Formats: sequence, C-alpha cells, structure tokens
Amino acid sequence: MTAPAPIRSIVIVGGGTAGWMAAAALTRLIPAGVSVTLVESDEIATVGVGEATIPPIRSFNALLGIDENDFLAKTQGTIKLGIEFVNWTRDQHRYVHPFGEFGFDIEGVKFHQVWRKLREAGRAEAIDAYNVCALAMTAGRYQPPVTDPGSILSRMAHAYQFDAGLYAKYLRGYAEDRGVVRIEGKVAHVPLRAADGFIEAVILEGDRRIEGELFIDCTGFRALLIEQTLHTGWESWAHWLQCDRAVAVPSASPGPEITPFTRATAHSAGWQWRIPLQHRVGNGHVYCSADISDDAARETLLANLDGAPLRDPFILRFEAGRRKRAWERNCIALGLSSGFLEPLESTSIHLIQSGIHKLMALLPDTGFSAIERDEYNRLTDIQLEQVRDFIILHYHANQRSDGDLWRRMREMAIPDTLRRKLDLFRNRGRFFRYEDELFAESSWIAVLLGQGILPQGWDPLADAFDDDKLAFSLSRIHEMFARAAQAMPRHEDWLARNAPARTP
Amino acid sequence: MIRSIGIVGAGVAGWMAALALRRALPGARISVIETEGPDWSLGPFGPGEASLPGLESWLADHGVEEGALLRAARGGFSLGTAFSGWAGQEADWFLPFGTIGAPIGTVAFHQLAARLRAAGHPLRLADFSLAAIAAASGRFARPSPDPRSVLSSYGYGLHFARAGLAEVLRLASGLATAGRFRRALGDAGITAIEIEDGAQVSADLWLDCSGPAALLAGRLDSGWESWSEWLPCDRAVESWNEVEGVPPPYAHAGAFEGGWQRTVPLVGGQSGALLYASAFLAEQPGAVPIAQGRRTRAWTGNVVALGAAAALVEPLHGHNLALLQNALTRLISLLPTAPDGPEPAEYNRLTASEADRVRDFAILHYKTNGRAGDPLWDQARAMPVPETLAHKLDLYASRGRLPVYDEELFDPEEWIAVLDGQGVRPRRHDALADAIPEPQLRAHASRIREVIVDAVRGMPHHGATLREEGLLA
Repeated sequence: MTAPAPIRSIVIVGGGTAGWMAAAALTRLIPAGVSVTLVESDEIATVGVGEATIPPIRSFNALLGIDENDFLAKTQGTIKLGIEFVNWTRDQHRYVHPFGEFGFDIEGVKFHQVWRKLREAGRAEAIDAYNVCALAMTAGRYQPPVTDPGSILSRMAHAYQFDAGLYAKYLRGYAEDRGVVRIEGKVAHVPLRAADGFIEAVILEGDRRIEGELFIDCTGFRALLIEQTLHTGWESWAHWLQCDRAVAVPSASPGPEITPFTRATAHSAGWQWRIPLQHRVGNGHVYCSADISDDAARETLLANLDGAPLRDPFILRFEAGRRKRAWERNCIALGLSSGFLEPLESTSIHLIQSGIHKLMALLPDTGFSAIERDEYNRLTDIQLEQVRDFIILHYHANQRSDGDLWRRMREMAIPDTLRRKLDLFRNRGRFFRYEDELFAESSWIAVLLGQGILPQGWDPLADAFDDDKLAFSLSRIHEMFARAAQAMPRHEDWLARNAPARTP
Repeated sequence: MIRSIGIVGAGVAGWMAALALRRALPGARISVIETEGPDWSLGPFGPGEASLPGLESWLADHGVEEGALLRAARGGFSLGTAFSGWAGQEADWFLPFGTIGAPIGTVAFHQLAARLRAAGHPLRLADFSLAAIAAASGRFARPSPDPRSVLSSYGYGLHFARAGLAEVLRLASGLATAGRFRRALGDAGITAIEIEDGAQVSADLWLDCSGPAALLAGRLDSGWESWSEWLPCDRAVESWNEVEGVPPPYAHAGAFEGGWQRTVPLVGGQSGALLYASAFLAEQPGAVPIAQGRRTRAWTGNVVALGAAAALVEPLHGHNLALLQNALTRLISLLPTAPDGPEPAEYNRLTASEADRVRDFAILHYKTNGRAGDPLWDQARAMPVPETLAHKLDLYASRGRLPVYDEELFDPEEWIAVLDGQGVRPRRHDALADAIPEPQLRAHASRIREVIVDAVRGMPHHGATLREEGLLA
C-alpha cells in the first residue's frame, strides 16, 4: 500500500491576527515544497480584542526567530507582567495575577502551603509580597528575566501588550518575505467536492478560483468555511459565561507612566479591560446585554477611562462557546472561528498559537485520515475547557453585592472539573494540574486566593518546620524580591531605551 | 486528623510506606504488622527488583545512602532493559534509560530517523543512545551533572534483592514490627488488627501492603478490574541462580512461545521470574496464579491499598516500585483532614489513571509483537486493545506522533523506543523533516554517533565501578 501524497498546498482564508500567525508559522513548510496562500480583503475589518497576551507567546516569536525589541517597537508594544483585578471579589478590593512563581518551595513543600500556615499565625504578608512579578508590576518596573536559576530574575515571566493590527502587519511582512502569497479579494463562493464534501477551492468575487488541499478558516466570527460552508455546529457556554457584548474604545495615555500590566475592573453587569500600549490605551467593557443596555454600557466605559477617548466606541457581539469540531474534513478553524472566550485572561492569541502548534505536529496528508483530526479536536477541546474553567472561576467566586449577574454567577452550577479543583483547594490548598494545562499552579493560586478562597488547612508536611525559621525565610524572600524589583528600571524608561515605537 | 497509621505487610512496600510517612508525619504513631509468606508486596516476580530512574533521588531525600543499599542488597546499576524474542522469534531490541539521538530544531530524532530510512539508510534508534551503547559494552558510571555534556543524556535505575531493600528501608525508618498479623477486625472499615499474641493494634488509617492477598482492601467493597483479556500471563514462577562474576548493567525480558522470562542480575546471582499463560503452557513447578488488574478504589474507607494490593502489572520494566513511590507521594499530599473530604476520590482518580497508563504500556508489548506462528502471540496481535491505547497506536502508525494523557509514567520517548523496537513504522513522518536537506541529516546522525561512541570509550566497566564502590570483591 502506498501512503497518500503529502499536502502540497495550503490556503488560509482571512488575514488578521490568526491568519497571519498561521501564515508566518507555516513558512517553515515552504522549503519542503508546500505552497502557502492567504486570501484577505482590505474591506473586512478585523476584531482586535486580544491585544494582551500570556508568556507562551514568547516561544511562538522565538520559533519564528523574531527579535523582541524590534517586534515591540513596530507594534507599539509594552511588557505585561500580570493582570490586576479590581473589584472582582468585592468592591474596593484588588488583587493581582502575576506571571512567574511565588517564593521558593521549602524542602519539597509548596511555597503556598508554607505561606498558608504562617498566614494563619499572622506572620506572613499577602502572597503578592513573595512574587517578583507582582512587586515589579505594582512598582511600574521591568527588567528582562535571566535563565541562571540562581538569580531571582529567573523567577520572572513576561508577555506583551500590543496593537493586534500592527502585529498582523508585522507577521505579514515576515510571511511574505518567506514565500507566502497574499491574494486580495472577498470570497464569494466555496464549492465542495461531490465525492466527499471536502472543500475544493474558494472562488473570489470576480470569479478568481483558488484551489487548495488544506484550508484554514481565519475568518473570525463569520466562520465562513467551518460553519457557513461545512455546518460543523456550535456548542454554547452562555449558561456559564453570560456576557455577550463588549463596547471598546482607545483612549489617550494619561501620562508618561506605562503600567506593565493589564487591568480588569468589575462593573455591575460585566467588567472593563485596560491595556496600555506605547501610544495609547485600549479599553473595553464586556457586559451581559440582559442586565444592561448598550447605551448604559457605553456610558460606564467612558466614565471609567483615564484619558480622552480617541474615537467613537464600537460594539462587538459574541457568545462564549466552541465549534463542535475545530477540524472538519479538510478545514481547520483558527481563532474566533473555532471558539470564543472573553479576554479576561488574555488567551485569544494563545489559543491561535496553540492551534498552529497542533496543526504543525499533526499535519495531515492528502488521505486526511480521521486519526490526526480526532487527536487535534481532542486536544483543542481539553484546552478550551481548561481555559473556560479558569475564567468561570473569576465570576463564580465573587462576593459582590450589586447586580443580578454576580448573584447568578455565584449560585450557578459549575463544571465538574472546576468543582473538583475548588473543593481540593478550599479544603487544604491542594492542587493538581490536569494534562498540559495552560495556566500553571501559580496562576490558579493567585486567582483562587485573590477571589477570596483561603484554604481551611495546609499540607501537614508544613507542620514539620519550625515557625520562627519559616517566618525568617519568608521575610528574607520578600526582602530579596522587593530589592530586586526596586532595582529594576521603570517600565517606560526601559521601553524608551530598548524598544521605542517607530512609525511603521 | 491522622494520629496513627497501621501498615499491614513488612516487605518492600510496607517499609517504604513506613519510611515515607515517618518523615511526612513526625508526630504520628506508625505500626508495621508482618504477614505470612514471601514478600510479594510488589508481586511474585522474583527475589530481585529493578527500579526506574528517579528512585535514587527519593532514597537520598529519605536518608538512604545508595551505596549502603546496594551493599546490603547485592545490588548493581541498570541502564535499561534488553528485550529478546518480542519483535520476532530471533529479533531483539533495547529500551535505554535516557535520550535517543537529538532533535534538529523542533523536529524529533525519530522523525529524522524515519526520513533517513525512507531515503534508504537503515538505522536502529538504540545506536543513538548513550545508555544503550554503554550497556552493550558493559560499562557504567553515574551521569554527569553538566547539562552540556553527552554524559548527562542518560539516567540509571538500580537492581537489588528485595529482602535487602526492605531491610535498609526498615533501618532508615527507625521502626520495628509491632507483631504478626492474625486477623482484621471491623466490618464497614478496619477498626483494629489482632496480632499473634492476641493483642489488638488500632490506627486511624490503614495501609494495605500485603501484596496480591490484599488482607485489608480485599475485605472492603473496593472493586477489582481484571486486565486478563489483554495481559494473558496468569502464572509466575520465581527463581534464583547463583552466578559468579560481574552482573551486566541491564535487565532482560526474553519472550518464548508461552510467555516470557524476566532476569534481574545481582551480584552473585540472577533473580528470575517466569511469566506464562496457563492456556498455552503446561503447569510449571512452583507456579503461583497471578491476576493482573487494579483495584477500582485503591482508597476505600480508612484503607489505602499500595503496591500489588492496589495494582498488579507484569514487571516488563521497573514500574512497580515507581507506582508505589508515586502513590506514597500522592497519599501524603492528600492526607485527609475530615472524614468526608474530597481527598480519597481525587487519590483514586489519579491512581487509577496512572495504573491504566502503565497497563497500556504493558499491553503495547503484546499487541505489537512479531512472533508469527505462536498461538499465544498471534492471538495477542489480533486482540482489541483499550481505546486509549488504540488511539495511541493509530496516531503513531499514521505519522509517528504520540498523544500524551494525564498521569503517564512512561514518557513519549520510551513509547517510541518500544514501538520502533517492535518494528512499528509510521506511514508518514513529520513534514518539517522534509524541509531539512538529506546531507545535513546524515551528518547530524553520524556526529551524534561519534560523540556517543567516544564518550562510552572513556567510561569504566560496570565491574570496575562496582569494585570501586565496594560492591564487588
């Protein structure tokens, strides 16, 4: 039996972040004789809610060989050390979800267990005091991490905040330089093969026909191929994540200071993001249309800006959920066409990246066996569910007294996977990660503690240590971390020196 | 709160549990109760036992000095396992502890190897493993801690007599046995154990380390899932042969018509276990029945089953000790605070997944065997396998990728080494490997080979290392 021929032509439909990320990564196949074509239309606006990212984006850029400073300069980019959550637990409350690890494990006992024990005795600060990213972000400071495990700076992790439109443009230049062919045009019609219902080609307005073997749907919410053509189906998660709209607006930077973090502020019927870039600030109010009118949501947004709005606010409509199969026949949906989760933990770009990574690992041949497809869909489902659970946690564990939304969130039945995590943590601060989880233990701990879930007990192994010695260790860790944070340059100064934005 | 722990079974599992809990709960009272018969706490698989890499650091953390253990237990070092007769009646292959080859960028070595094979250059994966080559030439030295050195590219396991291991663990725990088991008391849970002098021992939590007999867990409604439809061996015969000379630094698993023979070399002799399927081989002298499978709920009420009382999987690799070690770590991190807490359910979920993944790994050896014409093995090749394994096999056969599930004890590289050794070849390799020019691939492969052969030449013989550490006269 001869194996089916390898894929020789890949067609990406839709530019924007997803399309150009896929195109840039797939350039690696071009030397093996694969053609990569991207079809997009300048007339179709792209959705740019995902301007903040999480640390794994660094490995995506590294894979492409992108220079960090050059990329920051060309995307109006800034550094992100974590997220500040304001008013989520209750009004006037604040916590941070920093990247990077908390403290150091002590003789095999998790740092947060030791911390919990001392906290009970009133001998430990809030847990942020033991995270170097949390201290640096609060101080508005930044310095690149180092790999030497002996250095405190190795406990750091960072991501970026950037203009998604400029990022797509940056990747477009990268991809076109390496042989990706871009075709301008709007898709008018998608014919299917009679034999098996696979996509045969896309036909543009004006009848230009673009043939391909593998099609990547990056058409955003329209899901032109995966849904409008292949009718794959949608699974709604709106019963857990009830916010269904966002009103967004850029605003002027309030001053020279550029915070190295994203802020998420809870309002009575949703929450508002604040993402600082070098030249402006991105803002948006995510809300539940059953609880608040569009006009009132817009007013809330405008009332909570720290700089003048730079245009009229615009409204986005969405529903939390996922495509039933992100890979169907010879089509793979990437980005918003494959699923949507609100940008509370800045995961949109990461989900695209992870889809690309899986696609490269499971690249089919022209036989399109079900095996690769099923594995891709299995991994995609697991990952989306884990991110979904993490986002639900923020809503569910609240003590807010205003707004029916927050009461409903507190009282709703949550997924079993999240229920198990909450039970184990609440009982004794225990934590088990599921397969390949995106958010590490330290992220879950930051949000669980931040949302007011303090474990009732701690690991009995922590009892074997002497309290005085532990208290001394913790205060040393805090001092070291605080000193390291204070010694860093201010974030805006570091940017000005290393990655000042240029007009592209 | 757990103030007292009772352990039934004073073998390897019992003393390892005692040592781990002694350290984790310094204030708790721990009572170890002996049981009748040989130490089958990890299964009736021979007087010698083998470990996977990772046990040595557990031992060090628990105050057991490696040299002292090996001296007390006629021990030696291990670089992997040789498998003969599995891929075919005359074929053999080696599963090394450590990496095989090196990737180019993000393209894994076995994908590069597939590309080279497709271009007409046959090669064996083990020829690109330092551990495999050192094992073949009978050499051993501990790995280098310098990550830049090729001498850091492997790990090692240990071979030892289980009686010596149990004794060293007991000494490290600082405990003595509380008496000999007569019977367990209590219906819904275990309230106490009556020992031979008629006294009763009580405890808040019981650990059943009594092996397949499962003296405590077997009394409770803990369930048992049989794996006999996939793992056909249902008899084991233990043996010991006196042998002079230097033991080889690897274990051996040799398949024959009716099953397979395990050999773990020790100083002064070989520990053997014959595993066979009674439907295909006449009853052998000294055989004991074995039931492969796992307890549905290893933690039931106030009893936690450990070792062979929790799961029995034939010892193709040193996984039985590793499962015990992981179970203890998991148990300690989940020691309950309240009677109806979520901990037992979580413990059982994780423990069951881990055992099921080891089960799949063991079944893999049968399902992919190449012994055509032997009824036992023909049947094993044709059998349907668990869905989790079927998915792995399908994906590998299609393109040389392996899905990873939760709680895998064996990593993808080890799966690939077994699959490749058994002669399973993916239909297609990674498309990224095609983007690398063939001369570059060939140069990459020969450079790795040269570096490894050069490094092995400089390593001492296993016998020299054993003598230097006072393990061999």
